[in-house]
Parts: sequence; C-alpha cells; structure tokens
Amino acid sequence: MTVATQSNDRAGQSVVAAAPAVRLRGVTKSFGTGQMKVPALRGVDLDLQAGQLVMLVGPSGCGKTTLVSVISGVLDADEGECSLFGVEWRTLSGEQKTARRAELVGFVFQSFNLLAPLTAWQNVAVPLVIGGMSQPKAKAQAVAALAAVGLAERAEARPSQLSGGMQQRVAIARALVGSPRLLVCDEPTAALDAKTGRTVLELIVAASRRVDAKGQGCCVIVVTHDNRIFHYADRIEEMEDGRIKDKPSDFILAEQQHDAHTPNGAAVVTPSLASKP
Amino acid sequence: MWRIALAMLLGDKPKYLALVCGLGFAVLLISQQCAIFMGLLVRSTGPLQNVRQADLWITDPTVKWVSETRNLADSDLQRVRSVPGVMWAEPFFSGRASCDLPSGGTRLVNLIGIDRTTMVGQPPKVTAGRLEDLRIEGAVLVEESSRAKLDNVKIGDTLKLNDRRAVVVGYCQAKPGFDSPAVVYTTFANAILFQPLGRNTMPYVLAKVKPGADIASVQSSINSIPGVKAFTWDELNNLTIRFILIETGIGINFFITVLLGLVVGLAVSGAIFYQFTMENARTYAVLKAMGTKNWRLVGMVLIQAAWVGLIGYGIGVGATALFTLQSRRPGTELAALFPWQLLVGAFVGMILCISVGSVLSLLKVLRLEPGVVFK
Repeated sequence: MTVATQSNDRAGQSVVAAAPAVRLRGVTKSFGTGQMKVPALRGVDLDLQAGQLVMLVGPSGCGKTTLVSVISGVLDADEGECSLFGVEWRTLSGEQKTARRAELVGFVFQSFNLLAPLTAWQNVAVPLVIGGMSQPKAKAQAVAALAAVGLAERAEARPSQLSGGMQQRVAIARALVGSPRLLVCDEPTAALDAKTGRTVLELIVAASRRVDAKGQGCCVIVVTHDNRIFHYADRIEEMEDGRIKDKPSDFILAEQQHDAHTPNGAAVVTPSLASKP
Repeated sequence: MWRIALAMLLGDKPKYLALVCGLGFAVLLISQQCAIFMGLLVRSTGPLQNVRQADLWITDPTVKWVSETRNLADSDLQRVRSVPGVMWAEPFFSGRASCDLPSGGTRLVNLIGIDRTTMVGQPPKVTAGRLEDLRIEGAVLVEESSRAKLDNVKIGDTLKLNDRRAVVVGYCQAKPGFDSPAVVYTTFANAILFQPLGRNTMPYVLAKVKPGADIASVQSSINSIPGVKAFTWDELNNLTIRFILIETGIGINFFITVLLGLVVGLAVSGAIFYQFTMENARTYAVLKAMGTKNWRLVGMVLIQAAWVGLIGYGIGVGATALFTLQSRRPGTELAALFPWQLLVGAFVGMILCISVGSVLSLLKVLRLEPGVVFK
C-alpha cells in the first residue's frame, strides 16, 4: 500500500511523499445494532503525511474521536481501508495491533489520563516500560522527555501536585518519549487556559517538526473545538455528520487567518495547507 | 509493570486497606474457627492423652467415646490379665462426681482413679505434693488449671466428693476433657469410695502387652471375652473424635462458621477488588491504548490480587497464631490448635477469596475497549 500522494509543506511548496502516514479509503464505523445503530463514520477518505500537524474540527458527535480511534487502531473500522505507515490495521491480530500501537502511536488526552499514583517521570516512563525497557534506562529517558517540556524539576511530583497545564505537558512528554510516528491529541487544550493552551500547542507543533534518527517525521492529529489554536495547524479537516468536508468552512479558515495575524501569533503558520491534499 | 500495578493498588489507600482488612478478617475467621474446632477435638481426647503407659484400653463394647463409660466387672479384670501376651492389666477409673466447695458451692468434677500400687494412669506431671500421698485414704491431687474452678483450693484443704471427705495433697498437670471439667486425681480404691457403683466398678482396664507380643493379636484375644472390647490408643482417639464430630453437632456448626468466613471473604474481597478494578478501568484502558498487551494487564491484576491476598493472609493467620498462643497459657479455657495443615487450608481459602475478585476483574479488563480513553 504505497500510494504516492501530493501534499504541501509549511511554505506551500509541493512535495511528493512515497507513502502517506495515514491512509483511509471509504472507512465506515457504526455503533449499536438494529434500530439503535448509529453511524459515526460514513465513508471517510483521508491521506495524512508525516511531518504534518493536522487538526480535525467539527461539532460534537460528528465523528472526530471515532476517526482518530480508527486511525490509531484503537477501534476497528466496519468497512473500508485504514492503514498506518503502509500497514492495514485489519490485517493485524489483536496482539499485533497492540504491539503496533505501542511502537508507533502516542496519545495525548483531553483529561490527561495520567496515572495518579505514579510520579511525573514514572508516568512518562510507562510507554518505555510497556516496550520492555529497563527501569533505570526508562527513567533517564523519561526525565529527558520531561526536560524537553520544561518539567525536569517536577519529575518526582505526582499528577495531583501539578497544574492542569503541567499535567498536559507530562502527558505530551509521555506521548513523545517513545518517539512515536503518529501523535493523536484529543482536545489537548480543552481543559486549559489560553496561555497554557498555547504552551501545550507549541510543544505539539515541535513534535510535528521532529525528525528521528532515520529521518522519519511524526504525523500529528489534533482533535479540537478550540478555535484559538487553529493557526497552529498545517492543515485543517472539518468533519460533519461522519464525513470529512471537501473544504473547511469559511469561518474556520477565517479564524485560522485571523489568529495567524494576531500580534501574539509568533508561531504563526500560513493557512495555505488548510485543505485536503 | 508490576511497579505500576502496585502503585495503582497502594495509591488508593482506603480501598487497599478495605481489601487487606476484608481478606485478613476472612482468613482470621476461617483459620481461627478451624483452630478452635481442632482444639476442641483434641481437648475431647484429653483424658486419653494423659495416659500413655497402656497399649490397650479395655471397656464395654457400647462405649462411644472416652468420656462416656459403662463399667466392667472385677472379673473382667482377671479375664484380661489371663489373656496370653498381656504383661499387666490395671483398673482405671474415670467418672463424674459432685464436689462441694469450701465456699458452699457445688461443682461437677472429673474424678480419675489410678491403680494404687503401680500408679498406672498417673497424671503427666505432679507440680506440688507427692504422687505417693494419693495412697492416703481420701487423698486427691487437683489439676492446676482446675483449682480456680474449685475455689483455689490449697494443699491441706478439704473438699467433699459425693459427700465424702477428700483432702488435697498436691497439684498436678493434666489435660481436661471436652467440656473442660475440673480434674481431680485419686487412687482407684479411693475413687470407688467417692463414687460407689455397685457390682461393676471399672470404667476401664488399662493393659500393657508383653515385649515381642503382637498388640493386634492380644487385642483380638481380649475381644473374644464376652462383654469387653479392647481399643488401641489410636482407635479410642478416633472413636472419640468421630463421636464429637457426628453426634454433638459441633462439626456442622463450625463448618457453617468457616463457610461464613469464606463467604464473607469472597463477598468482601471480591466486591472491593472488582470495584477497585472498575474505578481503574480508565487506567487499564490508557495502558491498553498505549500498547500494553493483555497478558501484561492480566499479570497486573494478578499481582494486585496476590499482594492483598498475601498481606490479608498474613494478618489473618498471624492473629490466629496469637490466639493459639494465648490458648497454650496454663489455666486458659481457650482451645486452639494450629497445625501446618491449617496454614495450607487458610491459604487455599484466601486463594478462593481473591480468585473471585480476580476473575471478575480480569473479565472486565480483558473486555475493556481502549476507545474509552477518548470519552
């Protein structure tokens, strides 16, 4: 499954990627059965590239979370093709999916989902421990990851001793410590104030720009309602009623444009990528 | 992952304590009730344990347990003595007598009468006075733990046994019977004076088999005498235990209590552990979403279960051990026996208790959809 796709880089230049990080074709997903059956995804086609920060926007219940669940292999699609870095999720067994998630996917959740009894560094080390890394090595990497999000000095703090913003930064460190190639962020700023939200988004943007030792970038998907952060996106996809719209609504583009030119928009990106490739 | 599992467990202190206490209480209930039950069983054979000199206990064939006697005639003693292979055979008295206390009260005592000449059937230990003094007419030795039941009588004090004067000449140590009566030793001759029984005066004849003779064949020969039956120590011991188990109802009553302990353990630990897992379902889902394989999650649940189970087990058997130690103090009415088999039994009970909670929790964890992390 190596379909060459055309995309635009941050500067609006056309680039050709050998294989999309994420490729969806005709993906459907429903919940419930019989008369209670509720379609969440109605034939989604989507290609996402590594190195992109893509925002999924849309009203509640439009299928954003279901879509990222399917992309990250947390949920199985009912129909259609869904591949991550060239491998179809449906061809994998449950254990293989779990292993692939551990290897490739990082998650940042709206409610942080940190493990309350663990310290910050222990939380960050969880993906490494899952991968079988020894405790001392995992600790060293976790502390380094915390330092990267500016929380080295709070490595021994428990989640309850951290502010919401700090907790989300710990969650980002946890998501990034294993060098994932897909970062899924579900409403990462919803529980944060504007300033903290910006700090968090800047970390996520940095993650999308990261290139690992093999020269592979990270594809970042951010599910959000927060129009304050639209300007951070390389690309915005708007969902409606289980489908991705051909083009985001004008007001979304306007928000992106508006934010991009605000005096505080230091990390501003152009809205030129705000459409499907 | 085991660190994470334990951190999750220890991080929720109220539930952790409730789990450990619930399991500890269940193990305590199971092991302590079993220990009391076994203690009572062993106590019921106390009169037997006091006498180790004889190979055979000869009594009426209808006797069902050691403390329920039907007397033999003097002629039976001579018949037993005449059986080939019998080295010696001596009368042994064991019966109840009413004792008038110095304070004016009355107490039922277990009167033990031993042979005046050979002292066969003597108490295991004489702690004050001399055994030989029992040969004095009306002399008695009072078992130490029984003194409190007999107004703390002292050497030289006088009691009335079935309205006959008895003089305390010393103290001894001996195991009481099932109902823990006061125990008073005297000679067989004194005993039948205290408690006249008509023509048949001998509850037991104690017999020793000659060296080299086969106990079973001597026993068989004695059993051929009409109206008597010879038991080995083990046979009479088992007969007594069987009687207590079946005919007193104590077995079923203790079984119900132990079962109750098990049910309490199952219900408390199962419910709390399951609730603990439910409350941590999101954590498990996060771990699952991040790529934790099912067998590792199963391992986490089992580590948590094993941790609380072992600590609860330790608390439970520890408390039972303390209780058992208390029961070994002289003069105590507590009856408890705590053999290693009971440790194993309590461990099995604990495993049963945590298994229910673990299985319920594992079903929950294995069926958990990692997608809930996005909700």
